[in-house]
Amino acid sequence: MNDFLIDLANHINYIAAIALFVIGLYTVLTHSNLLKKVIGINIMETAVFLFFVSIGFVNNGNSPIIDLGDLGKIYINPVPSSLILTGIVVAVSITAYSLSLIIRLYQAYGTMDLDEILAMRSEVNHD
Amino acid sequence: MIKHIPVLVQVSLLALAVLLPLLKKNKAAKSKLLTILLLAVSVAFLLISLIDVQQNGAFVYNFGNYESFIGIQYSINAFSTFMSFFVITLALIIMIFSTKDIDHEIAQSSISQYYTLVLILLFSMVGMIYTNDLFNMYVFMEILSLTSCAIISIKSKKENYLAALRYLVLNTIGSLSVLFGIALLYMVSGHLNMTMMNQSISMIWQLYPTNILIASGFMLTGFAIKAAVFPLHIWLPDAHSNAPTPSSALLSSLVVKIYVFAVYKLLFDVLGRNIIISLGIPTVITVFAAAGMLFGSIFAIGQKDIKRMLAYSSVAQIGYIFLGLSLMTEAGLAAGLFHVVSHGLMKTALFLSAGSIIYYRNKRDIRDLDGIGIEMPVTMVVFAIAALGMIGIPGTNGFMSKLYLSFAVLGAGQPLLLGVILLSSYLNAVYYLPIIISAFLKEPKSKNVTMQVEVLPFPMLFSLITIGFLCLLTGFYPTLVMNFITQAVNLFLS
Repeated sequence: MNDFLIDLANHINYIAAIALFVIGLYTVLTHSNLLKKVIGINIMETAVFLFFVSIGFVNNGNSPIIDLGDLGKIYINPVPSSLILTGIVVAVSITAYSLSLIIRLYQAYGTMDLDEILAMRSEVNHD
Repeated sequence: MIKHIPVLVQVSLLALAVLLPLLKKNKAAKSKLLTILLLAVSVAFLLISLIDVQQNGAFVYNFGNYESFIGIQYSINAFSTFMSFFVITLALIIMIFSTKDIDHEIAQSSISQYYTLVLILLFSMVGMIYTNDLFNMYVFMEILSLTSCAIISIKSKKENYLAALRYLVLNTIGSLSVLFGIALLYMVSGHLNMTMMNQSISMIWQLYPTNILIASGFMLTGFAIKAAVFPLHIWLPDAHSNAPTPSSALLSSLVVKIYVFAVYKLLFDVLGRNIIISLGIPTVITVFAAAGMLFGSIFAIGQKDIKRMLAYSSVAQIGYIFLGLSLMTEAGLAAGLFHVVSHGLMKTALFLSAGSIIYYRNKRDIRDLDGIGIEMPVTMVVFAIAALGMIGIPGTNGFMSKLYLSFAVLGAGQPLLLGVILLSSYLNAVYYLPIIISAFLKEPKSKNVTMQVEVLPFPMLFSLITIGFLCLLTGFYPTLVMNFITQAVNLFLS
């Protein structure tokens, strides 16, 4: 039991990443408010970024600035962190685009609730 | 020089996309002209690159001469050169059609922006075909999903905003699953270059089978959302039917297929056939593919809007492609890739002719199409060719891809799936044949209609006739396409 808890504590960032991913997915799928859906997507993105950055971490590792004088040093892997910088840029552009779409939808329908919008559309179709 | 062609084509697409917003006078007309010219030149250069790879063999292209374990790498081989040639050629035909049609669909002020978006879309598609680096593929995929939503929402109607937002939300969930899968594979292999990933995964996969299974599950789900595999297709009908006609044709015949290529690359370039088979992935794909083939067609039967019907038909056709893929045999993979090409041609023909009907007569409802074949003979002949191809009548390319697929299914020893293919073809006939029959054999509702060639603008007629001709050409001479596809399949299975 004790070993299990220590294992759990050592992998806490992976567990947190999975938990955040599920929370985000749940928010996207269950909330009908469009803004909350976007927030859910942002939580999912953060989860994946946390997971990706955790892969590169090395216990007792130094920041990856190579010091040729000290060959015994351990460095963390810089590749995942630099990849995630690209990922953050992508996430920002998706958020910006989806928010602008939500503004246009709000102007057209006067609401941000997906269920209400769908109800309005089906009324129009029946007329 | 020849080895730089793929990169130069991509860079010039991106450069023109940046330059178009800077134009001053006559923005719309100049944007159209420049886009068409650039695409025509690109087709010529990609043909040179295709011939060069046929003669001198495949090679890898390292950006900035970085070594492959840190730099980005393009693999330029029979598969990538042929498919990028196909994508740009089809895009050129669609863009020629769009020069007249787009004026009717979107505001005059946003036409130049439309071509900017299309160029970035093509840039990312070509990139996804060539790239040999998994993270690079993710970045291109995100560019692709943003631009493909943007070419829907550019038609400023409220239905389009909703369709684009739905597409965007599901697309993003798909992208994030793919990124999660990439992270898991990176954990196992320590590389992002596909060739090097394949080397390390094939050595150590027995140590981490769960890790690889979860990774491929995440990535396949992500790609399946984007490629609209049944039951993850829910975004597709709204998105493809509300978009402007050229966008519908681009999305349905090209964008969806790019994710199919991504699945091919993931399964065969990164993981390798033996690992997939021992993890039991093909069975899962077969079930979803067969379900999609049947249900996509069943949903299409109930539709009244012609573009919506075509969109549901795409769901069924994606099922054929994944069925070929799931057989894991040489013939199956070849049949899948052949159907990518033939469905691309047929769906473009169908969407362009449906777009012409909307342009010329403003009719979208299938029940209003009585006698339309007398008013618009050329459009409806092209529509009929492609629709007969979808059903699988001999002489069209759709027949050839169904023939290849049926032989592949029998070769893999699964005759039950042949029944699914036949049933799905029958269902296709149920919703395509009534349109052809009512278009040519029923009396038009208005009496004073005389038989004459419709007065469509020349570019629209030109692309309609070209695409109809290409459908017949690949139907009568399938080896034109099949030669390249056999080489591509050998690359995937080696």
